[in-house]
Amino acid sequence: MNRRQFLAGAGVTGASLLAGCGALSTQSTRAPPLVEDRPDATYRPTHREGMGMAGMAQAGDYMVGLTYSYPHRFWTVTGTTAEQVDIREADSLHLMASVWDPESGMVLPVSAGVSIAVERDGETVADKQPWPMVSQNMGFHYGDNYALDGEGVYQISVRVEGMNERRLGAFEGRFGDAGEATVEFDFAESALQSLAYEEFPETQGERAALDLMQMDMIPTSRAPEASALPGTLLGTSAGADETYAASWLRDAPFLGDGESYLAVSVRTPYNRVPLPMMSLGGAVEADGETVFDDALTAAIHPDIGYHYGAVVASTAAEPSVTVDVIAPPQVSRHEGYETAFLGTPSLSF
Amino acid sequence: MTGRGISRREFAKSAVAIGGVSALAACLDRSSGGTVPAGIDDPANLPDRQHAWDDALATDDAGNPQMPNHHVLLLLDYTGDGAPTEAHRTQVEAALRSLERAYEWSNEGLLFTLAYGPAYFDRFDSGPAGVDLPTPEALAPFEDPEPDTPDALLHLASDDERVVLEAEEALKGTTDTANDHEMDGSFDGVFETAARRTGFIGAGLPAENQDVDGIPDSEPVPEDAPLFMGFKSGFKRNQASEDRVTIEAGPFAGGSTAHLSFIRLQLQQWYEQDSRDQRVSKMFCPAHAAEGKVEGVGENLGTDSGIDECPEDVVESSRREGVVGHAQKLSGAREENSPRILRRDFDSTDGGEAGVHFLSLQQSIADFVETRRAMNGTDVSENSAVGQRVNNGILQYMRVERRGNYLLPPRSLRALPPADPTQ
Repeated sequence: MNRRQFLAGAGVTGASLLAGCGALSTQSTRAPPLVEDRPDATYRPTHREGMGMAGMAQAGDYMVGLTYSYPHRFWTVTGTTAEQVDIREADSLHLMASVWDPESGMVLPVSAGVSIAVERDGETVADKQPWPMVSQNMGFHYGDNYALDGEGVYQISVRVEGMNERRLGAFEGRFGDAGEATVEFDFAESALQSLAYEEFPETQGERAALDLMQMDMIPTSRAPEASALPGTLLGTSAGADETYAASWLRDAPFLGDGESYLAVSVRTPYNRVPLPMMSLGGAVEADGETVFDDALTAAIHPDIGYHYGAVVASTAAEPSVTVDVIAPPQVSRHEGYETAFLGTPSLSF
Repeated sequence: MTGRGISRREFAKSAVAIGGVSALAACLDRSSGGTVPAGIDDPANLPDRQHAWDDALATDDAGNPQMPNHHVLLLLDYTGDGAPTEAHRTQVEAALRSLERAYEWSNEGLLFTLAYGPAYFDRFDSGPAGVDLPTPEALAPFEDPEPDTPDALLHLASDDERVVLEAEEALKGTTDTANDHEMDGSFDGVFETAARRTGFIGAGLPAENQDVDGIPDSEPVPEDAPLFMGFKSGFKRNQASEDRVTIEAGPFAGGSTAHLSFIRLQLQQWYEQDSRDQRVSKMFCPAHAAEGKVEGVGENLGTDSGIDECPEDVVESSRREGVVGHAQKLSGAREENSPRILRRDFDSTDGGEAGVHFLSLQQSIADFVETRRAMNGTDVSENSAVGQRVNNGILQYMRVERRGNYLLPPRSLRALPPADPTQ
């Protein structure tokens, strides 16, 4: 056992240590006990995992990057409930797919999702639709744990579906079709075990977040600073730990006469990772009259990023806006996010 | 071991899936020997609808018709060029009538249908009179199915594995008798088999057959589940009636249309990551999960999935809940408060993969398209936190790999029908 492996195993429970050195090279050593009394907010997780590159390819309009890390627990979300998904004994790694626009580098949360088939010698090893997820150091991606069939070369085929979110500005007419690509991934246990792994016994549970990872090849998802959003910034507001920035665009090529656009960008604290797959309602009042009261729909725009918006029949300079969260983001969460962003606040701008 | 190259274990799992004379012989050897009820002396007395199965099926305690346990689908190509010959017609009809004399028209005997695809009607000047029979196409933006283009589709169904195997061999002409009755003819020289698909439905069979790709090694399928996903379906009141799916007018009145898709299931996340409440939310609706409405596989639900108790406004409910149920979405495809399709689907282990042969009958293929549109939940996804597949019914766990459309003529026109029988 090398020193790195030993350190990696230092935080494990007695039970898995008893399982012997063999167990140290598998996942069970990489999941320290969860923080007790987790805040209902973003918190510093028990540990940070590094990430290895599995491959990259263009798939239609999209670029896809595949990365991997140690298998880990995560939480799926239905409604306002997060359900923990435990690591299975057979899991070899956590496989992640990032999807972005090769022209702008913007990470695209495609609600239609991604399918990943893992094959070896023509045999299917795994075939499923990984969960849309947010993590503190990876931002938005699609991920799940996978049980591989030992070391060696795998063919990983990724299909990214066409977007049904509204695409505005330079994104109009793009990303409507599915794209597919296959990469070869040479899985080596030693490469996995050499990924960084750091525990935070002193600071875990604090209200903080890991830094977003900076990678050479793969962009991470980050919403613009509120002050950098196009249009008039109506304000920012904190919800169930997530931050809302509302902007009012009276001038945009996609608007008709007498129209403005309300854009609400929802992002995580600390890292400004956009939070997709929410149900938002919006009401716009101008000159004492309600000029809009309806759903805000998911959209992407090169300068606004992923957001929720509506075209409003008003050209008021600074309307007053109310945003109701009807359902929180239905994205799965890595550790440190699973207790955050589960509320349904109302906000005024 | 039977000494015929099929291990007992394989055999126990998949005699029907293996097929052929050896599987049949093994099946007959192994059978505990119950007799299969014989058919009718005069097949002319059988109902004019080939799809008149409900009266011939057993029912469960709640009164839902129960699909036969074992199924064989043969995708057939007509060997002739151009319009079929009278001799071939006579041969096909004789073969089918032989089966009707051999086996009781019931789940204990044999139920079958013979349907025809658009490729078959291409040999005539026009498509089937009065019936819109489109070539199959993708029915969701996120699917990319291969079209099935055989001339004909034969569906054999019985509770007895021996029966579907033997009827298949008798039709192919590899055996001269069926249920100890002489065959008066076979499909030999008329039809060639382009593809063979098999499956099963009924409590216990999915659990017995779960050692396949798409189902995790933890053997999660409940012992009493009639289908791989662990819940009962095909409730009487969630099905279109046979009347509702019957073509009313034109030369093919009394017939129906069939849509057959092959759907691959990927149930690792379903069973190992989703909680029971999540599964109930996604299969039925979130209200059913919150209220604990579904016990076990759902036998307690009676004759319907209780969908009237799920919120009717599917988009509004999805916006609030962040998840929408499969059954809940389908309630939007009703017409005059009746479902539009009659499901006759079953599970499959063909190719060693967990799958569903989703066979449905409807008056018009458009009824199927509309039902599938509701199931896609695209409106839900565009207007709520629900993803296009994540939290959107069961779409995350399935992939449609093949689709085919067929005309299921009335019994009187089942043998190589002309496109316009009035001419």
